[in-house]
Amino acid sequence: MQTAESSGGSDLVIRDLHYSYDGNLPIFTGLDLQVQAGEFLAIIGPSGCGKSTLLNLLSGFASPERGRVQLRDRVIRPEDPGLGYVFQRPNLFPWLTAIENVEFGLRMSGMPAAQRRQRALHYFQLVGLAGFENYLTTRLSGGMQQRVSLARALALEPALLLMDEPFSALDAITRETMNDELLRIWDTLGQTVIFITHEIEEAIYLADRIVVLARPPAGIYRSHGNELPRPRSSQTTKTSPLFWEYKKRLIGDIAAVMRQQPVDDAELVEMGLSVATDHA
Amino acid sequence: MIPVSGQALAAARKPLWKMRHSWSWWSIPSLLLLWMLLATQFPSYILPQVWDVAGEGLDWLRSGEIWPHAIASLLEEVGGFGAAIIVSVICGFLAGFYRPFREYLVPINGLFMAIPPIAWAPLMLIIFGIGYTTIVIVIFISAVNPMILTIMEGVLQIQGQEVRAARALGARRWQLFVYVYLPASLPFITAALRIGFSQAWRALVAAEMIGASQGLGWMVSTGGEIGNSRQVLLGIVLIGTFSYLFERLLFRQIEKRYEVWRLT
Repeated sequence: MQTAESSGGSDLVIRDLHYSYDGNLPIFTGLDLQVQAGEFLAIIGPSGCGKSTLLNLLSGFASPERGRVQLRDRVIRPEDPGLGYVFQRPNLFPWLTAIENVEFGLRMSGMPAAQRRQRALHYFQLVGLAGFENYLTTRLSGGMQQRVSLARALALEPALLLMDEPFSALDAITRETMNDELLRIWDTLGQTVIFITHEIEEAIYLADRIVVLARPPAGIYRSHGNELPRPRSSQTTKTSPLFWEYKKRLIGDIAAVMRQQPVDDAELVEMGLSVATDHA
Repeated sequence: MIPVSGQALAAARKPLWKMRHSWSWWSIPSLLLLWMLLATQFPSYILPQVWDVAGEGLDWLRSGEIWPHAIASLLEEVGGFGAAIIVSVICGFLAGFYRPFREYLVPINGLFMAIPPIAWAPLMLIIFGIGYTTIVIVIFISAVNPMILTIMEGVLQIQGQEVRAARALGARRWQLFVYVYLPASLPFITAALRIGFSQAWRALVAAEMIGASQGLGWMVSTGGEIGNSRQVLLGIVLIGTFSYLFERLLFRQIEKRYEVWRLT
């Protein structure tokens, strides 16, 4: 589960991260986090705890006020080809067909048409969409749209894949299928994944490590290593005692976070966060 | 190779007599019928019959007198509307992208929108005299403001998720414009063209009635002055026909390019 080019060292480094919404509502004050190359990290927390803001900072859509976010010793920009981003909503380009959506990033990087079609087809099949290449994306179901979105991010073969509650808009059954597909793909490609979610079970099922965020501006509440063996499957993993043990701990953590004294204008923070996710 | 919906295919395969007939086929004929009925109640020099007006049209065609007027109106429309397209696309996008420019532009836009464009015609007549320039300026004023507003609103709608996605996929600034803003803006650019064209066309006819020596509007107004109701009606019919042709041959064709994906 290592990327070909990774040296096995730390892939993503977040050091002393400071960020506040609108310059006066602090969200992070000195957050530290390191992610190993090839690691699957889940970040979990109640809504309004800064999950999406953190992802904006990790992807370079927002800039920290202090501290740094580096991917392999380089400051991250959203345009970085080493970075793949799967959004909460598919955010596909409706004027392009499904396969053209997957080709988009390769087209931006100037890859010749034949070559990029070939690469796009590979990832298109990898996410299980073979046969739907020439569909307009508006004709695909929500789950299929999110698959296109995943293939689109994977086609650039990023070393780091950021996923912002990617399956939260899907129904429970589709979500479970997508989780299995994601694990299968990650097993094949081995990139670093940072997966934001508010679903405890999803986090345990997918990740090597689960970070629970505290209420702003506290940053990380606690970090859990996940020893559940791989490969994982719904039947064995989700029924194992260890799974339930993790679930118990995480429920406890989330409850503790919820009990934390909220900052004075917590509601404002929440509103600010939602604004930040939409427009940052 | 875009898969078309089954419904559309089924409709295409249906024989003519089984297709749902649209009531729109009745609208123009019924209007003509009403005209004919009304015309029986008036002497021909007040309200001429449909065929009288058609005959008048043939006369104008045969003598070739119609062409200078039709061409003059079309050239004015092309000039004024064309300039409005260029200016409104530039200003609309800039206003959509840059907040300071938007804040600066919106009040000016609102002011011009509040004044019926034809009110500018006398001033333009004083400055430029009777002719092309006066009319082009009046129709430019009438078209450009609603067009800027429509395009600006559209650009504001695009900003956000699609742009974020494109940036995350490595699109640089110019690529964002070419591959995201341009295709995404096609629907409201067409809407702006439609609005702008009809505004320009109305202003054109009105302006020609005040300050022109030729054109379709001039045909209508001089027809009125000399008491030739056939010429008046012929002018009106031509004005409507040109507008209809532009809609079918131009805007409808652009719309077909994106209506497939706009159905969300």
